[in-house]
Amino acid sequence: MRFGGLTALDRLDLDIDEGDILGLVGPNGSGKTTFFNVVTGIYRPTGGQVVFDGWDITGFSPQAIFEAGISRTFQRSRLCLELSIFDNIMLGNFKTRDLGICGNIFRRRAFHKTCAEEIEKAVELIRLLNPALVGSIHRPVADLSMIDRRRIEICRALIGKPKLLFLDEPSAGMTHDETNQLMDEILSMKSDERRLTIVLIEHEMGIIGKVTTRCAVLNFGEKLCDGTYRSIVGNPLVQEAYLGREVTEDEV
Amino acid sequence: MRNTKDFFRCAGLALALFAYLTLFFGAEDEWSIAAYVLLGVGGVIALVSFGALPAIERLIQANERACQALMIAGTLGIIAVFREDHYTLFLLGTIFVYSAAVLGINVQLGYAGVINFSGASFFGIGGYTAAVFLQNTPAPPLLTLLLGGIFSAVIGSILLFPVLRTSGHYSALVTMAFALLLKVFLEVSEWLGGPQGLALPSLKFLGIDFAEDLVIMGNEYSFYVKYDLACLLLLIMTFTFAQRIERSWMGLAMDAVRIDETAAACFGISVTRWKITAFTMGNFVIGVAGALYSMMLSYINPSNFTFSDSLLFLSILLLGGIGSLWGVIAATAFMVVIPEKFQIIQEYRYLIYSAMVLMMIVFRPSGLLPRKPRRYIAGGPL
Repeated sequence: MRFGGLTALDRLDLDIDEGDILGLVGPNGSGKTTFFNVVTGIYRPTGGQVVFDGWDITGFSPQAIFEAGISRTFQRSRLCLELSIFDNIMLGNFKTRDLGICGNIFRRRAFHKTCAEEIEKAVELIRLLNPALVGSIHRPVADLSMIDRRRIEICRALIGKPKLLFLDEPSAGMTHDETNQLMDEILSMKSDERRLTIVLIEHEMGIIGKVTTRCAVLNFGEKLCDGTYRSIVGNPLVQEAYLGREVTEDEV
Repeated sequence: MRNTKDFFRCAGLALALFAYLTLFFGAEDEWSIAAYVLLGVGGVIALVSFGALPAIERLIQANERACQALMIAGTLGIIAVFREDHYTLFLLGTIFVYSAAVLGINVQLGYAGVINFSGASFFGIGGYTAAVFLQNTPAPPLLTLLLGGIFSAVIGSILLFPVLRTSGHYSALVTMAFALLLKVFLEVSEWLGGPQGLALPSLKFLGIDFAEDLVIMGNEYSFYVKYDLACLLLLIMTFTFAQRIERSWMGLAMDAVRIDETAAACFGISVTRWKITAFTMGNFVIGVAGALYSMMLSYINPSNFTFSDSLLFLSILLLGGIGSLWGVIAATAFMVVIPEKFQIIQEYRYLIYSAMVLMMIVFRPSGLLPRKPRRYIAGGPL
């Protein structure tokens, strides 16, 4: 993936197995979010291939990729603040409820029924993350705290039952305890839904160690290494990318 | 309807509102009009300072259907009071038709965020379509209303490509260019009457000629009563249509497209599809309103549909509150009636409009009656 003269992703070769939780780490500007944007169709890659579930989805539109079963959250929360909690969650489930003009405007009684069903589904999902929010699903999202907004974003990504979920730095803007709590919630949800694959961008290594089954490290758009958390933490290349290299006496 | 007490409260409010409006419309000399305006402003300030507004809002929301019925009944009451007054009836009809047109713009800008600076052009296309069909074909007038809407939507789709390709200020410029272009075209086209415009036969429906005075039991009333009823019907239909769009997944998709195109696309919502839908639906509504308005005027020319009229439509939307349906109706009534009632300020009316819009943007950016969070079912939980 190139932007003008800048190569943001280069020779990144990454395999993700079904049911995995893959941690994606790397210094700022190493191309983690760009990777998400390429896979979810926001950027059209200048080269390379994205294969999902046996299908080549390179260069597909974001809608088509969402329909194929890939969903995501954003690094900077992208909820529609003026819309209600229910509306925001419903956006993630929009495709299954596409009724057309007739179903939406003229057959109101049938619409009310599907609406009640959708509210039921959204409530079920919110209850898993924060039961306190169930009573206020018709309040605007703008009234919520950061952690609750993250929860709503995760609900929105999950309600459409995706096969692959991208979480772009869910800890951003939250305290350590809140992040831990959120991760526990994600893990417990994952235990209900074994086939769900998650790719997680995260800076806090503690969380990466606790949550992920595999990790990949990016630096300057290239993959440094991948493997289990233990193996990458011990890897000298990774330490160099993050902390710099120890200067030997000869060089001094 | 929760209980009878609520109903009487709503009825009391409606009665107060329509009594006030009746007095206001009936006022003739400028001093009494000014006094009524001050009375209205004072009444609103009193309600706000006593903190009665939230309670009233809750009452109206809990009894939405009943309130809508009361509003219609009150409007019919006003029409009945002024049954012989051509001028007031014509003003009322104008309010209804303009409201319907601005509700169309509301679907475009308020829901899907597609800016349209050529509202009056589509209004005019509706009118000219009706005129051409009525003059040259035996098409029934009711059908020409629909044709006005369809032509307006179809000609609007020419604009779709440049509007979708561009965004923000640029798409606004595209629609402005279209508005100017259309006006020049109408002025030079001999077939469409040039600057003199075209005359329209009256609306006829079920053997009723809308241009003849209404006769009930030997008493003659203004023919505008019939037009007012037709315009009110159009407004009610448009209102219901716009409200149902808002309270459906379509409204949700349009909101998502307006607020964040990228996020909407990531959740499978096609930005292009919903922008096209909103733009076309809006233009259709504007076209039908334009056709009916021209029949009421019985005569149209290009100067009825200038760029400043497009700006007026947008100002009404800003004043009432973008996305707010009741706000549109209230603001239209205000914008149409005030300059008509104060003949002195006629000449300065665009100055006053722009001052009001500026003040609105500074002091109350969400409009007179701001849009409420969406409820999918009338009277549902909030």
